Amino acid sequence: MTQTAITNSIRKLRFEHNEMTQQDLAERVGVTRQTINAIELGKYSPSLEVAFRIAVAFGVRLEDVFSYGGSAQGSRSDPR
Amino acid sequence: MSFREKTAWITLITLIVLLLFYLTHLPPPWWLRANPSGFMFHVLTIGVIAFVVIELVAYAIMALRAPREARAPSDEREQLIALKARSIAARVYPILSLGSVFVVIHLGANEGGILYCLFLSFIVSQIVNYAARVGYYRRGR
Repeated sequence: MTQTAITNSIRKLRFEHNEMTQQDLAERVGVTRQTINAIELGKYSPSLEVAFRIAVAFGVRLEDVFSYGGSAQGSRSDPR
Repeated sequence: MSFREKTAWITLITLIVLLLFYLTHLPPPWWLRANPSGFMFHVLTIGVIAFVVIELVAYAIMALRAPREARAPSDEREQLIALKARSIAARVYPILSLGSVFVVIHLGANEGGILYCLFLSFIVSQIVNYAARVGYYRRGR
């Protein structure tokens, strides 16, 4: 399956924040759990607004959650 | 599976059932010179009513099982999937409808035959629409 060039550390951040579930994060961000799952797996690139909401939900900067073309801290999906 | 993916599956299956109903009750080439106000009209009416009823019942059952998901608006990924699928269907419909009408006119069809082709093209394009949605949901984007 096609992966995006954007990597993320959402899974790691979820575990660091009291083992937050995908459903919890989805409710905070305002998307479905399936969308959070697709973002984590690198199958879907969120809009800027959703990306910012995810960063705000974790209380970190945007670049601490997402990175482009390189490896984010502890990301699951590597770029090509 | 999200609520909207489930509803896409339901609509896809219902459309396929409608297509089979349509083809079995109005098999070609009978419809080439069909009377649009006769048997064909009754088949179309029954088919559309059955489709609406099945959709309403299925959606109501799913909404009762997951009321929060049903009430929640589509998120950006779901909207993007719907847009991409509609875009594909929007290309399929004119090609099918114009192509089929062109062919049946040359076969000597009357207005009943043309109506048949237009309705059939619409059903097929909607099947393409919802099949594309299901495909995008399964792929994740």
